[in-house]
Amino acid sequence: MHHWHWLIVIYLFLGGLGAGAYLTSFAAEKGWLGKNSRLKRAGYYIAAPVVAIGTALLVLDLGQGLYKPWLLFRLLFNLGSVMTWGVYILSLFIIIGLIKAFLVFKNKTAPSWLTWAGAVLALATGAYTGLLLAVVKAIPFWNSFLMPVLFVASALSTGLSVTALTAHFLEKEGSTDATEGKVHLALVIVEIVIVAIFFGMMAAGAKGPVGAESASLVISGKYAIVFWGYFIALGLLLPLVVFGLEYQRAKQPGRQVVTEPASLGTEITTTAEGSQQSYLVLVTDLAVLVGGFALRALVIFAALPIWDGKLL
Amino acid sequence: MDSAKKISISRRSVLKAGAVATFVLATGITPTMVKADTAQDTPKNPNQIGFMYDQNKCINCKMCAMACKETNNWEEGTEWRRVIVGGKDNKYYLSYSCNHCEDPACASVCPVLAYKKRDKDGIVIHNPDVCVGCKYCMYACPYHVPDFSTATGRINKCHFCYERQDNGEKPACVSKCPTGALSFGVLSELRKAAGATAQLEGMPSPDLTKPSWVLIPKA
Repeated sequence: MHHWHWLIVIYLFLGGLGAGAYLTSFAAEKGWLGKNSRLKRAGYYIAAPVVAIGTALLVLDLGQGLYKPWLLFRLLFNLGSVMTWGVYILSLFIIIGLIKAFLVFKNKTAPSWLTWAGAVLALATGAYTGLLLAVVKAIPFWNSFLMPVLFVASALSTGLSVTALTAHFLEKEGSTDATEGKVHLALVIVEIVIVAIFFGMMAAGAKGPVGAESASLVISGKYAIVFWGYFIALGLLLPLVVFGLEYQRAKQPGRQVVTEPASLGTEITTTAEGSQQSYLVLVTDLAVLVGGFALRALVIFAALPIWDGKLL
Repeated sequence: MDSAKKISISRRSVLKAGAVATFVLATGITPTMVKADTAQDTPKNPNQIGFMYDQNKCINCKMCAMACKETNNWEEGTEWRRVIVGGKDNKYYLSYSCNHCEDPACASVCPVLAYKKRDKDGIVIHNPDVCVGCKYCMYACPYHVPDFSTATGRINKCHFCYERQDNGEKPACVSKCPTGALSFGVLSELRKAAGATAQLEGMPSPDLTKPSWVLIPKA
């Protein structure tokens, strides 16, 4: 009884990713990610295109997307439908995001209202991808206010990762401040808490037996490997450990200098460790993306309807 | 810049925010407390019509579904009316189609307003000519009524033979039922029947969408 498939999974993932990327560069621009952050531009560049690609996939998934595309204009009609809200939010976000990216590229200052409008729309985009599912009462697994909250947390985390990855290859200037890792650590911790509450309550039957059945499909059923391996281990625990260690290290500068005698040998080890560390962070950022994608797939494929269509 | 101070403040505020967030999240898992009037209440629209199905009279001949298919030319892959079998020794049947709900979930989620609930008699009519085929309604309907045709890329569903009814005829399914198991009429009248209910065991609560159907379960 799955009516939505991989295209929708990718669409939900990219929606969150683009929204998070914008918010990452927005935060960097505001100085919330440390001084002279290298993340000030990369997120702006990828945000709108990523969301636009997701939207294009959504259109392909529509039965009439290529057949009678003029009907798509009607998607703006039902102001009571969350999907209609999404069409407005995504369209505006793509437009504002492209303008902002262009101005950043040209080294021109964007008007403050535009930058802020983009940030608000980015947050709305991330929340919308979850809200679209949360309002469906006939799917107990989706029908929770935690769904948009979880999607926003994942959007911020994946957005920060994709921006860091892009900046790594794009930016020659700017620095990696410890604040960046600290913020990501906080995001991962928040997401773990939300995930624990969401799946805990769902499994405990807070949304009825069908919700519990969906949760057990994910936790111990046929999606358990994707859940524990890709989402929990790669997407949450690895970043928790890696960003956690980075944070510990950043908190105690000069510890090695105090405890160990300075010698040529240790200096070389430290440098090698440092570059290994940065590769580890890159790999971790990739793992965050894998985890975020796994989450969207789990949510779509573990959706069980409130009635299985059978007569008892 | 006193970095130590900065860190301690942010850590404390993170913990505080975390505690508050945890509480909010824990209490917020249930967005929809269904406290609606029960489905047996008087319909909002006094002229609302509905199907009535008597499980005692049904013999699983499927004439209703066949008549519907013939009359309405179901698009490939869609079933406007189904007869399902279950219960003890597979001796229980249910013929069902759209319930023309008082609160149709399909209509509320449809982004293109393809669904219209008629004022005249409360029939929920889907217009396939404006449907974009997003399939959102397939998730929203607790009864799995909207069907997607991969051949035409759009949704189809029962419209209660509204054109036949406008011409004074009965819906095709009702007209072909040989045992009188399937009938239709004004909902408030149908609900007066003995043993009438709006829910069979294991089926969705009528509080979700307030379906305009009357069931008489097998005694």
